Amino acid sequence: MKQAIIFGGKSFEHEISIVSAITVAQKIPTIEIFIFLDDRHGFYLVPKGAMKASTFSSGSYKKFPKLRPIERGFETLGLWSKKLHDLEIINMIHGGDGEDGIMASLFTFYNISFIGPKTAASVISCDKFLTKLYAQGLGVKVVDYLLVRQNESFELPFEFPVIVKPLNLGSSIGVSVVKEAAGLSYALDTAFEYDSQALIEPFIDGVAEYNLAGTFCDGTWHLSMIEAPKKESFLDFDTKYLDFSRTTGAKKADILDKITDEIQMIFKRIYGTYFIGSIIRCDFFVIDEAVYLNEINPIPGSLANYLFEDIASIVTHAFHTLPQPRDIRVNYRYIDKIHASKGK
Amino acid sequence: MAVKQVQWHNHTLTISYEIVNPDAKRDFIVLHGWGSHKELMRDAFKSYLPTFRHIYIDLPGFGNSTSTAPMNSFDYAEIMELFIEAISAKRDIIMGHSFGGKVATLLNPDMLVLLSSAGIKEAKPLKIHLKIALFKMLKTVGFAKLRHLFVANDAKLLDKHMYETFKRVIAEDFSAIFARFTKKCLIFWGTRDTATKLESGKRIHLLIKDSIFKAFQGDHYFFLQNSAKIAHDIEQRYIHTKED
Repeated sequence: MKQAIIFGGKSFEHEISIVSAITVAQKIPTIEIFIFLDDRHGFYLVPKGAMKASTFSSGSYKKFPKLRPIERGFETLGLWSKKLHDLEIINMIHGGDGEDGIMASLFTFYNISFIGPKTAASVISCDKFLTKLYAQGLGVKVVDYLLVRQNESFELPFEFPVIVKPLNLGSSIGVSVVKEAAGLSYALDTAFEYDSQALIEPFIDGVAEYNLAGTFCDGTWHLSMIEAPKKESFLDFDTKYLDFSRTTGAKKADILDKITDEIQMIFKRIYGTYFIGSIIRCDFFVIDEAVYLNEINPIPGSLANYLFEDIASIVTHAFHTLPQPRDIRVNYRYIDKIHASKGK
Repeated sequence: MAVKQVQWHNHTLTISYEIVNPDAKRDFIVLHGWGSHKELMRDAFKSYLPTFRHIYIDLPGFGNSTSTAPMNSFDYAEIMELFIEAISAKRDIIMGHSFGGKVATLLNPDMLVLLSSAGIKEAKPLKIHLKIALFKMLKTVGFAKLRHLFVANDAKLLDKHMYETFKRVIAEDFSAIFARFTKKCLIFWGTRDTATKLESGKRIHLLIKDSIFKAFQGDHYFFLQNSAKIAHDIEQRYIHTKED
C-alpha cells in the first residue's frame, strides 16, 4: 500500500488546502503520492519535488500527468496509462469537494481507501445547522442560534453583539462579528455571498475556547492535547490561513481536570461511529464551567499535526484499521425464484 | 464582499457589493465602467475619503453580479435605485466611470462625479461604420455566425444578451439628460482617452450647468494614477456643497 494525499478542490478554501498538504507532506515523510484536484475538477499527479505553493499558483501543475479515478485507485490518462492501485489516501481538501461529502462519495464508490470523513459525517459537519441538531440530539450543549434564509425577514431573539456565519463553510470566510443593529444587514449579505443560508449566534467576547483533535483506531482513542488557540477578536481568514501552515507544537491549555475530562468525553460522543476513519478536530467553548460544542472540523488544517506528538504514527495506525465497506453481492435469488414458480 | 438579491420586474438579480468604512455617515457610491468590476474602483479609492461610507457595486452582468436579459442604461438605473433602497444607502455622492457615469447621472445624486463618462455620441471612424454595415448585410444573408469577427473586443467575451445590452447602451445619446442635471457635478477626464474623447468631456461640462471640469494626463483609466487628487477634489467640493 502506498500513502497518498489529495488536496486542492473546487473550494473557497482551495489555497488553504495546498498549504495544508505541503505542511502534512513535511510532517509525514512516508507519503509518496500527491494528487492535486484543480478548480475545474481535473486530477493531477504531482511529483514530491514539485510540492510547493508556486507549482499551483503559476498553473505549472498542468504539465504533470492527469489522473482519473478507477476501482481501488487512480490511473494516468493517455496512451500508456499507468495504474496507481492500493493507495491509502489522506483527504486534505478543505471546504467544498473535501468536507461536503463529494470526495467521500467518489472514493467510496470506487472502493478507494481514505482517511477523512465518510459521506454522512461530512454532511453533518459541513452544515452548521445540522451540526447543532446532531450535537443537541446527543445531549451536547451548543450556543443559541438563529437560522436565516436569504430574503427572509426575522426577529433577532438575542442581544448584540452577534456573530454571523454562512451555513456551509468551515473556515472564517464570510464570518463577521456585528456590534449593533446597523451592521447586521451587510454582515448577512457578506455571508450570503457564500451560502443562501446563514446562522446568527450571540457573540461572547473573550469566551474560553479549546481545541481537541483525535481519532479512534486500533480499538483505542488517540486524543491530542487540548489547546487554547490564540485569538484576536476572532480568528479571521488570514490568521487562520497562517495557522494552517503551523508545524511547531502547540501549548497545552491550563485547565481544570474536570473540564479536560468533560471535553474528552464530549469529543468521543461526537466522534461516535459517524466519524470512524477520520482524524477530526472539535472546537469547544467553556462558559461558566459548562462545555459547548462550537464546531466539528472533519479535515482540520494540516491534520492538526501540531496538537499531536507523532502525527505520522497516528496516520499509519488509522490506515491499518480503516473501516471496510460492507460488500454486497447480488445473487438474483428472488428473481430466479419468481421465474421458477412461474415455471419458466 | 457581499451580495443582495433585487427583484426587478420578473427578474431576480444578485448584486455583488462591498462596503468600506461601514460606520461613516455619508455615502459614496461607486459604479465601474463597461467590462470592468468593483474591485478596480475599490483599489483606486478605498484609502481616500475616510469620512464616507464607500459602496462599490458590480453592475448587473459584470463582476459577480448577474443579469438575465438585455437592458439599457435606464434599466440599469432602475435596478440600482432598487438596490440602493435595499441596502438603505443615501445618494450623497455617486461616482461613475464611463458607462457607470451614465447610470450615476440618472440616479440624480446630491453630487455627481463623472470619470470619462460615456453618453456623448461620437462620430465613429468610417472603418467601424463599414464593419457594422457589412455585418448587417451578412446577417440578412445568414452569416450571423461570423459575428465574432465584427464585435468590439469589449463585447467579444459577453453573453449574447450582454452583447445586446452593449448595442443598446452605445446607441444612447445622453446630451439632454446631462442638460437636465442641476445639482453639483465634478467631471474628470484623461487627456489621451480614446474610448471617450476629451471633447466629449468638455461637451458634458457645457451641458451640466453646475459642473467643474478637470483633465489629467492619461487614458480612459487615468483615475487609477490620480485617485488621491480626485478624492481630494471630491472632498473639497462636497464640503462646499454642504455650506451652500
